[in-house]
Amino acid sequence: MSQPSLATAIKARPWLHKMMMPLANWYTNASGYRKLGLRADDLIPEESETVLLALKRLPPQEAYDRVFRLRRAVQASLAHQLLPKAQQTTPEQDVKYLSPIIKEIEAELKERDDLASLSISKRK
Amino acid sequence: MISRSAIGRNAQLALRRQCCAKPTNKRGLAAVSTGTTSFSYETADVGGVKTASRDVAGPTTKLAVVAKAGTRYQALPGLTVGLEQFAFKNTQKRSALRITRESELLGGQLSSYHTREALVIEAKFLREDLPYFTELLGEVISQTKYTAHEYHEEVEETIHLAQKKLLGSVAELALNSAHGLAFHRGLGTPLYPTSSTPLNKYLNEDTISAFSQSAYSKPNIAVVANGASQAELSKWVGEFFREVPSGTSALPSAGTQYYGGEERIAHGSGNSMVIAFPGSSAFTSGSSYKPEIAVLAALLGGKSSIKWSPGFSLLSKAASAFPGASATTTHFSYSDAGLLTIQFIGSASAIKSASKEAIKSLKGISEGSINKEDFTKAVALAKYRALEEGQNIEAGLVATGAGLVHGGQPFQIDQVGKSVEGVSAEKLQAAAKALLEGKATVSAVGDLYVLPYAEEIGLKV
Repeated sequence: MSQPSLATAIKARPWLHKMMMPLANWYTNASGYRKLGLRADDLIPEESETVLLALKRLPPQEAYDRVFRLRRAVQASLAHQLLPKAQQTTPEQDVKYLSPIIKEIEAELKERDDLASLSISKRK
Repeated sequence: MISRSAIGRNAQLALRRQCCAKPTNKRGLAAVSTGTTSFSYETADVGGVKTASRDVAGPTTKLAVVAKAGTRYQALPGLTVGLEQFAFKNTQKRSALRITRESELLGGQLSSYHTREALVIEAKFLREDLPYFTELLGEVISQTKYTAHEYHEEVEETIHLAQKKLLGSVAELALNSAHGLAFHRGLGTPLYPTSSTPLNKYLNEDTISAFSQSAYSKPNIAVVANGASQAELSKWVGEFFREVPSGTSALPSAGTQYYGGEERIAHGSGNSMVIAFPGSSAFTSGSSYKPEIAVLAALLGGKSSIKWSPGFSLLSKAASAFPGASATTTHFSYSDAGLLTIQFIGSASAIKSASKEAIKSLKGISEGSINKEDFTKAVALAKYRALEEGQNIEAGLVATGAGLVHGGQPFQIDQVGKSVEGVSAEKLQAAAKALLEGKATVSAVGDLYVLPYAEEIGLKV
């Protein structure tokens, strides 16, 4: 399940995009996951068939890194500490690695539903 | 009509064409059939792609892409099977599911399989859907995505099952072992990777994708149709096969050499024994084709071609004395070599006695004790088999496609018949003698305590 977002609508309007960027950067920073070394896609809830399948489809290296980030973050959270600056996620590192796969799976499922429910009628 | 979002434009077009087309059997008496009754293939070169078609009258068409990418040509173990399994999976334009559903709506059937020399991707459909399926095959060979998740979720599993199936079948094991002994590499590669092949080391979506680039390049494929006119076929192939890579390097293939030898494999379920000799290459290869081997295969036989009688063939007479064993003689012909195999299946002790009898009858042929009547029957059967193979749509497609991509000729039925008829008893005797003088290939699978060694049944290996 990918996160609901207004991002595409905002990106489509350059003036709005320019206006929102400082606010967006502030918000992302304030939400604090980057200080625990996580990426935004690490926060997607795993408890759905779609996301579970997407996790299975991750390349081995990505999957390993993800688990490493999660464990490091849990450890930091338990210790009530933030990671040292060098280990925190930079905006460049915060890429979408999981949501493209989730979108692909959702598109597959939608196509399956569409094809399953199509009705054929002869042209008159 | 189907909603636009659910079905691609092409399927819509094809469907529309189909539902308003006249029923195919509605041809009036005066109307001319579009098909001819000739069984010869017309060939043409369309933008670098070799095509052959045979316009047999009838409402259905069979279209196949025959690629010179069988197990003989694979660079790493398992690539051919992997590529075969990736046929009709997700492409750049549409998903595997859509391909399946659209073909189902048009009543088409899709399949892919491979032999030692060819990889065949095939579609069967109603005659008027030719454009749709030509586009589909063109798309499958040039735009398949070869995604990692499809490989892990679908392809890999199927290959493991194929390995297990091969491991369980003594007959298949024995045949593969005989090919391996006779030809070592190339043609000797087993049809499916054996279960102990370290596939993970060689096989993944990237190696398969790289293999597809050379396997499906223009000089490496032939498009063969049965039930479509050459003009139609050329038109649609010209349109839809443009994006096929034009690749300069054909797949490597060293010439085949016959080695021979003996292999014994212990197996718990069933017994099988294969005795093989160098055979003749396929008719489409031209000069190295020896029709007397086909006649010899028919004379040795094993399985009766008529009911309620063991038949005339020497092996069926020999084997009928040993109930519990069956013998079959098959002639496998490839582009530059062939293998004449006698395969026994049954209980180990019956195989032991029957194989001795078989070699005795082969020696009889080489010494000239051929019954005139049996010889006539064998020639007739061999001729029938050769002609039937050409007429049979399935075998004819593959034979023609393989003939084309190997630079030979399409399978022309009338010439095959003539060359088989020309075999004389002396030629047959000489051929049998040559076989027995050379090195044989013997492979036994099953209860090795009982199954005989080559030496014991009187063969040199």
